[in-house]
Amino acid sequence: MHDFVYHRPQDLTSAANLISGNPEAKLLAGGMSLLPSLKLRLAQYSDLVDLKSVATLQGINRDGDALVIGATTRHAQVAASDDVKQAIPALTVLAGGIGDPLVRNRGTIGGSIANADPAADYPSAVLGLGATVITNRREISGDSFFTGLFETALKGGEIITAVRFPVPLLSGYMKLPHPASRFALTGVFVAQTRSGVRVAVTGAGSSVFRAAAAEKALTADFSPAALDDITVDPDGLTSDIHASAEYRAHAIIVLAKRAVASARPQ
Amino acid sequence: MHGPVTSTRIGQPVPRKEDMRLITGRGRYTDDLNVEGQAYAVMVRSPHAHAIIRAIDVRGALAVPGVVVVLTGADFIADQMKPIPNKTFSLHPAERPLVNSDGTPAFNVPDYPMPADKTRFVGEAIAMVIAESINAAKDGADRLQVEYEPLPSVTFTVDAAAAEAPRVRDEHSSNICIDAQVGDAEATEEGFRKAAHVVKVKTWIPRVAGSPMEPRAAIGEFNPQTGQYTIHTCSGSTLRLRRDLSLVLDVPEPQVRLVIRDVGGNFGTRGAIFAEQPLVAWAARRIGRPVKWTSERGELLLSDYQGRDLAVEAELALDANGTFLAMRGSNVGNLGSHTGNFSMVQKGVEIMSSIYRMPAAHFRVRAVLSHTAPTRPYRSSGRPEVIYVLERLIDLAARKTGIDRAELRLRNLVSLSELPYENPFGMVYDSGDYIGVMKRTLELADWKGFPARKKEARTRGKYRGIGVANYVDTASGIPREKARVTVYPDGSAEVVIGTISNGQGHETSFAQLVNEWLGVPFDKVRLVTGDTNIVDVGGGAHSGRGMRLGSIVIWGASNRVIDKAKQVVGLLLQKNPGDVAFDDGAFSVSGEPVMRLAEVAEAMAIRTDLPEEFRGTLCAECDETVNVAGFPYGCHACEVEIDPDLGLVEIVRHTAVDDVGRAVNPLIIHGQTAGGIAQGVGQALLEHAFYDASTGQMLAGSFMDYAMPRADILPSFITDISEVPSTTHPLGIRPAGEGGITPALGVIINAVVDALSEFGVTHMEMPATPERIWRAIHGKQQRSRIVPDAAEQEISLL
Repeated sequence: MHDFVYHRPQDLTSAANLISGNPEAKLLAGGMSLLPSLKLRLAQYSDLVDLKSVATLQGINRDGDALVIGATTRHAQVAASDDVKQAIPALTVLAGGIGDPLVRNRGTIGGSIANADPAADYPSAVLGLGATVITNRREISGDSFFTGLFETALKGGEIITAVRFPVPLLSGYMKLPHPASRFALTGVFVAQTRSGVRVAVTGAGSSVFRAAAAEKALTADFSPAALDDITVDPDGLTSDIHASAEYRAHAIIVLAKRAVASARPQ
Repeated sequence: MHGPVTSTRIGQPVPRKEDMRLITGRGRYTDDLNVEGQAYAVMVRSPHAHAIIRAIDVRGALAVPGVVVVLTGADFIADQMKPIPNKTFSLHPAERPLVNSDGTPAFNVPDYPMPADKTRFVGEAIAMVIAESINAAKDGADRLQVEYEPLPSVTFTVDAAAAEAPRVRDEHSSNICIDAQVGDAEATEEGFRKAAHVVKVKTWIPRVAGSPMEPRAAIGEFNPQTGQYTIHTCSGSTLRLRRDLSLVLDVPEPQVRLVIRDVGGNFGTRGAIFAEQPLVAWAARRIGRPVKWTSERGELLLSDYQGRDLAVEAELALDANGTFLAMRGSNVGNLGSHTGNFSMVQKGVEIMSSIYRMPAAHFRVRAVLSHTAPTRPYRSSGRPEVIYVLERLIDLAARKTGIDRAELRLRNLVSLSELPYENPFGMVYDSGDYIGVMKRTLELADWKGFPARKKEARTRGKYRGIGVANYVDTASGIPREKARVTVYPDGSAEVVIGTISNGQGHETSFAQLVNEWLGVPFDKVRLVTGDTNIVDVGGGAHSGRGMRLGSIVIWGASNRVIDKAKQVVGLLLQKNPGDVAFDDGAFSVSGEPVMRLAEVAEAMAIRTDLPEEFRGTLCAECDETVNVAGFPYGCHACEVEIDPDLGLVEIVRHTAVDDVGRAVNPLIIHGQTAGGIAQGVGQALLEHAFYDASTGQMLAGSFMDYAMPRADILPSFITDISEVPSTTHPLGIRPAGEGGITPALGVIINAVVDALSEFGVTHMEMPATPERIWRAIHGKQQRSRIVPDAAEQEISLL
């Protein structure tokens, strides 16, 4: 690891000041992605600004028709939350399937979506539920948040404070775990939201995306059988030593069907 | 699995003594040691599969604060250091050597720990940066400028055997180091001529990385006053490693002290000397202070000795009743870029026919070089590959002949009365109840109940398959071993022995032996190994030799301790030593207890009226050379359930019956078996050290891409121990360490193929990933395992 100066601000303004105007400064949440990259010397920063003591970034709250999750809320907290389970059970499943217990005890939702790993789970929920990413400066629609491979709409100095998830009518998440990393080899988040059906796919491309044909079919009939004749074009999907684009395209539909099946009330 | 612990003697599942220490951070691994004044080394590794090293510019690295020196392969040679000697074949008397068919010697050339001329695999160490801290050394490594001239490379086994393949060594006319024939060509030809049925398989068992938990590490020290080197490291080798180090450092053996303490796994990745061991020693002498090196996981995946990698074409001939008549084919093993050890291809082909009656066999065996990490024996060296091949052929034969797969095996297994049995390659199996063990396996696996389970799974949309496979292991290893057993006046005992534990639990199992034979309490037995200042003879741990040979010499030494003590009792009590009896730590005469062993030790220590030969410590040695091999065997069954939509495999049941002759510690044995099964699952379904054929890069360079088996994908195994005493071991013991993995590849793949048989699938290559299975179900062409986006190339060795 290269040397850095470590900061632990107690409030959001101090944190923002520490990173403002300094492109060599980096925010640290759970560290589950950042620390390994520092140890492998793939990244180097002059300053690390640890957000764990900023109390306003924590917490899970029901706010009318929405569930608001603070940016530094850990995956284990989301997975164990009764509020989440009641409002959006697919999120409970999603958070409970991230990494392993060690990762879930430290990793955060804010860190996950800011990092925008193409195989991370949370981005599929943000896109799949039509969530809003709230920062210290503005609100960004989930549809505009993920812009590319490890790229988001966040500007320099901007800090995610929370994610607001509109509570859907139905939701389901199914993930095919990557055999090595346990990220999503392919993961599909399906939701019947108050403003329509969304099908968000992670792990299959350079960034999370919506499967339009599947959404159209499920809008007409929100059932697994509705996807029987729907296919996804492999062109542009990820191909690597673990799975071809063709297999991922096939898996998207299988997982979407299973996510829809799991979304039904018991 | 085993009953409760009722004593600490042989046969008891005694929990391991060393575990609490190891799992609470009190292990003494190489990296835990720090030597005063030590500097830290970081290796700079080649990014090319094959390249000329034109120049190494160290100036930028040297300018980094804290960097002490940068050393290269050229510096090593300039200092008159020598290359690493090769082992090539197992020369054990019980094994069959391989010789080139054309009479020429096998090609082998020693390699330097760091090359000066060319690099021959991605990850090969080409320079060593030494600094005051690891970070400074890494900063230095970042600033090292190496000018490479990349050359064409070849990584895939079959491609490397081709005449036009880029050559790994200019000194040789091809990459083929050995091209041998084994067996009887004429008798085999005859067998195939008479055959009613012939089945064939073409397969490639891919490369894997052994992945021990502890990364390799070494600390080198040099004392200029005494001229002595001290190397602290992790290894499965003791005296042999010391000898190899002395040859590389070019000093007499007594000038090298080797110290090995706790080792976190080996499996063959560190059975032999590795580059950094002599390098830290040499560097310590160069810079006048100790040098410490610890690797990281990415380095391990790239540069540990890797395992397996065998391309096979094989055929089995049967008569109309399903009796095996002959087998033949061709094996090509991939050595990687060093000709360090050919024994994997040797140890595989010599038991190619396993424990089945095989009247004739003939195989061509080749070992090739390629621009990949060097390979070495990896748990059960060469055998899981060949057992898989034969078990696949048998399942194909069952399908062809219509004979039930279990029945076909039972019919052809060598029976009790036929043993000792010489296989068609000249290996003589000593003893065993192969049929009895297989029947037990079928019973424990509920083979008969499978059709009902398969039907039930279909109602849930899942496809079940079951496989059964027999195996035999050749346990040989360095034949000589020595133990010194000492009993102290305080009632404790010490065993000094040349074996080494890399996780096998010798601290516990050897203590059980001493408890049984000398009556010394289990907690008072100490094991001393791994320090060449104390141990002078011995072969370390490999090929199941630890318990197999260790038990013989500890028994021999213990008996001599008892004999000596009886003499002392006789002298002290004026009795005939022949009238003195020993049992459970105490001596008696005519049924009356007279002295305890510890009291004898005390008498010898303090009494001045004993003859000189009985004054001092109560100890004895036993130094034996065992020229016979051991043949553990067994039968495993595997049941899988497949999700056809995604190709996901769940192992729902895995049953193992392994014959260990006489079990010393069933808990340890079950642990060994479970670990071996897990490693087998890893190779069958998940692991692949994927070398991209077009770039030579190893694409699974971290655990993000190298898929390891984890506990959550495995069921609780059903493991059972059979004890048919080995007729070639004085205590009947057969080694237990490699039985778990030997049949694993065959039994798992056979189960998968069985599950997919109604889709018309007749074969499956490894790793049997979800995509591979999904494609097989839909009759689609398989993806290549050497070029990520290409179609699978047909393996042809002809």
